[in-house]
Amino acid sequence: MSPKTYDAIVIGGGHNGLAAAATLARKGKSVCVIEQNDSCGGMARNAAFASGAQAPQIAHLLYNLNPKVAKELGIGTSKAPLLTKELPTVSLKEDGDHVVIHGTKARLASGAIHPEAATYEELISRLIRFAALLGQLSTKSPPSLDGGLTDLATLGELAGLAKLGLDLKRMGKKEMREFLRVILSNIYDLTLDELADDALAGAMTADAVRGAYAGPRSPGTVFSLMYRLGQGGGTQLPIGGMGAVSRAFEQAARAAGVDILTGKGVTRVLVEEDRAAGVALSDGEVLKARAVLSNAGPKATMMLAGAEHYDVEAVRRMRNQRCKGTAAKVNLLLKSAPVFPGLSAELTAGRLLIAPSATYVERAFNPAKYGELPSDPVIELVIPSLTDPSLATDNQHILSAVVSFVPHGLEGGWDKSAQDRLVALTLGTLEKYSPGISDLVLEQQVMSPADIEAATGAPGGHWHHAEMGIDQILTVRPANGMAHYRFGPVGYYLCGAGAHPGGDVTGVAGRNSALQLLKDGVL
Amino acid sequence: MGQHDRYDAIVAGAGHNGLTTACYLAKAGLKVLVVEKNDWIGGAAVSRSLHDGWTYSNCSYVCSLLRREIVRDLELPKYGLQVIPYEGGASFTRDGDYFAYMSDHDALRREMARHSAHDVDAYERFSQTVIRQCRFIRPFLLRNAPDPTSIKPRDISELLFLVKQAHGLGAKELGETLRFWSMSIGDFLDEHFESDLIKAHIAGAGIIGTGLGVYSPGTAYVLLHHYMGDVDGAIGAWGFARGGMGAISNALGACFEEAGGKIVMGSGVDKFLVKDGKATGVALENGDEYYAPIVASNMDVKRTFLQHTGQEHLPEDFTKAVKRFKIRGSSGKLNIALDALPKFPAAPKGAPFLRGDMHCSESLNELERAYDDWKEGRWSQNPYFDMLIPSQIDPTMAPPGKHMMTVFVQYAPYDLEVNGVRSGTNWTDETRKSFAECVFDKLEQACPDIRSKTLHAEIRTPLDIENEVGLTEGNIFQGELTFDQLLFNRPVPGYAQYDTPISGMYIVGSSAHPGGGVMAAPGANAAKEILRNTGKGRAIRGYAA
Repeated sequence: MSPKTYDAIVIGGGHNGLAAAATLARKGKSVCVIEQNDSCGGMARNAAFASGAQAPQIAHLLYNLNPKVAKELGIGTSKAPLLTKELPTVSLKEDGDHVVIHGTKARLASGAIHPEAATYEELISRLIRFAALLGQLSTKSPPSLDGGLTDLATLGELAGLAKLGLDLKRMGKKEMREFLRVILSNIYDLTLDELADDALAGAMTADAVRGAYAGPRSPGTVFSLMYRLGQGGGTQLPIGGMGAVSRAFEQAARAAGVDILTGKGVTRVLVEEDRAAGVALSDGEVLKARAVLSNAGPKATMMLAGAEHYDVEAVRRMRNQRCKGTAAKVNLLLKSAPVFPGLSAELTAGRLLIAPSATYVERAFNPAKYGELPSDPVIELVIPSLTDPSLATDNQHILSAVVSFVPHGLEGGWDKSAQDRLVALTLGTLEKYSPGISDLVLEQQVMSPADIEAATGAPGGHWHHAEMGIDQILTVRPANGMAHYRFGPVGYYLCGAGAHPGGDVTGVAGRNSALQLLKDGVL
Repeated sequence: MGQHDRYDAIVAGAGHNGLTTACYLAKAGLKVLVVEKNDWIGGAAVSRSLHDGWTYSNCSYVCSLLRREIVRDLELPKYGLQVIPYEGGASFTRDGDYFAYMSDHDALRREMARHSAHDVDAYERFSQTVIRQCRFIRPFLLRNAPDPTSIKPRDISELLFLVKQAHGLGAKELGETLRFWSMSIGDFLDEHFESDLIKAHIAGAGIIGTGLGVYSPGTAYVLLHHYMGDVDGAIGAWGFARGGMGAISNALGACFEEAGGKIVMGSGVDKFLVKDGKATGVALENGDEYYAPIVASNMDVKRTFLQHTGQEHLPEDFTKAVKRFKIRGSSGKLNIALDALPKFPAAPKGAPFLRGDMHCSESLNELERAYDDWKEGRWSQNPYFDMLIPSQIDPTMAPPGKHMMTVFVQYAPYDLEVNGVRSGTNWTDETRKSFAECVFDKLEQACPDIRSKTLHAEIRTPLDIENEVGLTEGNIFQGELTFDQLLFNRPVPGYAQYDTPISGMYIVGSSAHPGGGVMAAPGANAAKEILRNTGKGRAIRGYAA
């Protein structure tokens, strides 16, 4: 194998790892990505059923891809093509009187205007405006006081915060006050102060807490909704499945000259004289590099280098990170398209939510706190084959469901019978909205949070690698004093969702870490 | 028609904050009237004789937060206030063990080691952090919350003070502070301790009085609200006011009257009188009217503006903000007259921690489940409570040899759910009784003979507290202590400096910054603000000057 020393090695070929690699390679650095699985993709990959039908293995929709990152990396261009289709959201109701949300507009599935449409539009538009303001912090390193007020880098970072402050002031007193009031509050109260506790409120609260270890009543959930609304709140279905998204990132990386090594895990990061020097692979091979970036979870990243390279406090912080995954995935192969009474074929192809009220969502969260499954789960489901027929054949369809509040630490553990219970629970819930759907099932795939952790290395199977709570964002993400992607030894960087700004398929954490590395003058 | 007297200022409600405002104003030379709906003063800081020979602190029951600057300014000890500290406390388990919290450091270490050697060291880190956070926040309690949207020199200087304090912490501490303020008490404790019992013992302070669970972000901050007080300068210490919490109110009342103030009791405010956007006085329920250019309401913000102020005087946005201000009833109380001291079989006889706060909750999950019950409008079958027997330290509370017990119960819903319907009216004699029985069942975990020693028990639901004290939903803080309702957001963004849309009208109760607890800080801060606005700011010595 190559005796060559790379400028940088990236551990993990998830989209953030690829974004980091591509960013470095585009600046002329030699970069190698090492992926333990046989292909890149992390949480954004396809999983095939026996029949060959392609289901999104974990993530199934794209809503937060950062346009700045996409543009920088050339994603969506001929070198790294990516086609998406925007889906409407449908919040299902058992009585068939579903609520349809297109952007900021709410109506009923019957076509009538939703009685709360105007209130909803005002509320969600305001949150989108706030989200856009906050969004300007995401593409920069988080502000800190590390260097003191005389340090140029610190001042630069604080300037970003000052800019946010100015933009806030520019909104006018009233809006600024509203921003400062809601930013740390909970989505349950914010929603129900304005809307009746029905399917529209249910959709809004469910979107705020999907993937989070929090119920709508937990303070901080307005922020998590804003994070989700960072790109305006639209939901895109990638044509070709989520695998197509990773493929685009991979192509962008390769086009920039990145080497990608798959099927090998990294067992250890080599540290020489407190500098990252390369990695040891599972087959015993050693690859040298002047910098190493890790797309793994923060704690795993620490352990790869060895806890001895960190002070006690840093180790404790990593051990205490909150990363309890709560989202499970159930994919069903159906012999024909399911029918949801009250829903047109066009809307059936949308993003369907089972979250009939905010109270329902909160109730669904309760059991997760005690390691139990919810009795009435919150589900986000999409039938991608209705939009993209190439995914399945013979009129078969794929139903991809994200089941919320399924605990990583399930009482009794995640064995086959627990998985079966999860499928039964999912089908039982779907039956209420699409009677007879169970009879259509040909095959099923289940990914519990524990399975997600095993497949991707995401700590706790958590979507965002670390909970996006107020106590774990910005300057304290992934931990106090570790917010600048620099991770212990010189030249060792965290480039995954555990770093600022956090999770979702955004590409930002990877891209930011690469830029920070370059700025730090490591290469 | 009744009286039509004129005053310089009128305070509506003789709670401890209202009285504090009144004291400062009277000492500054204003002619001040306090009107109170009950026949007694004190609001929720009262001592009441509801069973022959016994004195119940039947609402608030322990003292620590009362700002010593205020005690000093108003010379409250001179008027009979004496705070007696108690030491330690304990949590009892179902299987007959306990964890005792003791103020003696070595004793505490030994006791912790009995449960977990690991937690002994963890406690050192824990208490350092908490004390640091208390020190950080205390200077803000007696200052106005700056308005971040304002460019007035005062607001900017307050903001700069905040920035200076924050910067003084250094980067690392600032990060820790940001994290601490936004964490849940459950996560914070999980980070430090391994013993469920120790965690449960401490966690109560993060949820008492709130509509939040131990795993709700923001509850670590609430912990501070119970830790940042002191008794005679001992940070975090708690004590009993001799003669019950009413001693505080009575001292304030005496101070006020000696300064020339007048208190009218027995009829509450019916309407705040407003003319041309200016406060002119109050009309009482009995028809009396009193006039003053300054009117201060000690009632919570909802009661003040939604029930007793003409809506035509208020901007629509303001009313809307008041409506959405969260004041949730989440706690109840049992006040018990005891024939003799109940036995605590688990504890060594005469153990000092029996004189402190006692609990029977064993794990964070147990507390969180109690919160889940409350969300659904039920009291928990396994409630958390904070139980004390003050008569052991303060014999004036009960006849010789007899005792008085106060049991604060978290969580009790205001709008109780019965057969799928949630309403305050579901608190009937029957449901009140079953609520009490549920608490007694759990009390037996600590003292199995409690029922046989009970002579009389007063059951207080959130509805009872609302009816008696006037606190909306019986919420002890006059508004949830969540971030959307603290500092410049409390009670209404844009009106966080005790002012209101009505000129000359002020909010002086716990609905205002810095919030609830028998702290008297809102009342004192408001007085300072009022005096400043009337140009009398320099008329008195002491803190408010």
